[in-house]
Amino acid sequence: MNAAIALGIVALVVVATIALGLFGVRKVAMDPQEFIVGGRRIGALLLWLLLAGEIYTTFTFLGAAGWAYGKGAPAYYILCYGACAYILSFFVAPVVHRLARERGYLTGPDFFADRYGSRALGALVALLGFLMLVPYVTLQLTGLQILLHIAGYSVIDPVVAVAIGFFLVALFTFAAGLRGAAWASVAKDGLVLLGVLFAGLVLPTHFFGSPAGALDAVLRDHPNWLTIAGPGAPNGITWVVTTTILTGCGFYMWPQSMAAVYSARDEDTLRRNAVFLPLYQVMLLLVFFAGFTALEVMPGLQGSAADQSFMLVVQKYYSPSVLGFVASAGTLAALVPAAAQLLAAASIVGKNVFADYGITRSAAAQTRTTRILVLVVALLAFAFWALAKTTLVGLLLIGYNGITQLFPGVILGLAARRPPALAVGAGIIAGLVTLTAFAARGVSQLAGVNTGLVALAINAAVLGIASALARTPVREGAPAGS
Amino acid sequence: MRPTSTAIVCAVIPALALTLAVPLVNRLEPRILGLPFVLAWIVAWVLLTPAFLWVAYRSVRG
Repeated sequence: MNAAIALGIVALVVVATIALGLFGVRKVAMDPQEFIVGGRRIGALLLWLLLAGEIYTTFTFLGAAGWAYGKGAPAYYILCYGACAYILSFFVAPVVHRLARERGYLTGPDFFADRYGSRALGALVALLGFLMLVPYVTLQLTGLQILLHIAGYSVIDPVVAVAIGFFLVALFTFAAGLRGAAWASVAKDGLVLLGVLFAGLVLPTHFFGSPAGALDAVLRDHPNWLTIAGPGAPNGITWVVTTTILTGCGFYMWPQSMAAVYSARDEDTLRRNAVFLPLYQVMLLLVFFAGFTALEVMPGLQGSAADQSFMLVVQKYYSPSVLGFVASAGTLAALVPAAAQLLAAASIVGKNVFADYGITRSAAAQTRTTRILVLVVALLAFAFWALAKTTLVGLLLIGYNGITQLFPGVILGLAARRPPALAVGAGIIAGLVTLTAFAARGVSQLAGVNTGLVALAINAAVLGIASALARTPVREGAPAGS
Repeated sequence: MRPTSTAIVCAVIPALALTLAVPLVNRLEPRILGLPFVLAWIVAWVLLTPAFLWVAYRSVRG
């Protein structure tokens, strides 16, 4: 009975959100422009929600609380990196948007293909983005499984629940495209805000009188929990700073973030968004409070089980309808970003591999291929979820380490004189080889430094050496494709 | 429109405060509104970032 109430609420909210998304696109004709970048007419408010919609994912909702619970102060990096990414985007995003409009980019890899005059570089970047999105979509699936498992009071088979939820979202993405995802974000953000207010303010107040009371309780039992460990320590201060820099640089490199930048109405919309988006980030403080409260109320969860911490507190101490409401906020935080990520992964391969290499020829064929690829990515992520079960943080950091390798190419691509495509591609590949070598040895920190940043340094060094050797910079207005 | 020097200064200050300055403020005391000092520092700078970027925005808009 409890499970029926809680899951019933989740189902109702998901169906209502999908209906809202489809309602938002009811009169919009679907061509690739519209499907992938919302026809480049998305205004400030909807864009704000779309960008925020990609930030407030399951990682924020469960993963950040899980880290506050499982690791403590290193979780603060999550609060830092978003603001750093917005500061960077204030300068970079408007320029990228102007180029995208002038030169007609649809996807992130289009930027590389055009700015470096190399179709092959575009395809390499597309395949990298596609691969790095699989763990990110898998992260949303893992979150979904946790939420449905808890909301179902463990009676529902998690694999069945995830399969249903996920194919629903794949179908939704298939039908509605980017604008539909933006509309679904409207419902998601409202509900997630309420869920976070509940988890971050009501929970600690219930048990400890106030959020500060929860922090006092944590400090009594774990005196060092709320400050960051010294340099060189695992997840110590060096790690926090280097991870903030790495993820701050990588934030807008995700194909779905690039698509969001392209979809803006104008450059000014992007600048104003960059000014105000950091305010949204403060919600994370409440998520930390939820994690710290759970640490005191329900101690003892190990490893990836920490991701379930505050949901388990809600399940144990609150009514099924409250649980259903919080779980539905979390479910949308998984489904809506997953829709945008599926769309991004599908559209980059559909465009920069299938269309650019002449496998699909008409616009209609391209939209159809993109839609089929949405289903392919969904299946891949589902398989990855079923086979390799990693923690939420682990999944996100795999993706960030990889996607940030695009950063040097994007920044240098803005300049009038640019390095040759071969140098950019060699740098990206050197970065990926470095990451693979570290991953094969199970190393994620080198003397406290995030290995993603080490790989980024090697990437930049290889790029620099290769372009010095080649000495044939691509000039402004070079033809696209080659 | 090119970034003005005002815009660059306004962007660099909060970016440094949230990265390289964090090791300098990694302390529990004094706690502010119950928050450990390092967390209060981070939250304060996340809240201040829009103010700095607003000044940057005004300067590039002219």
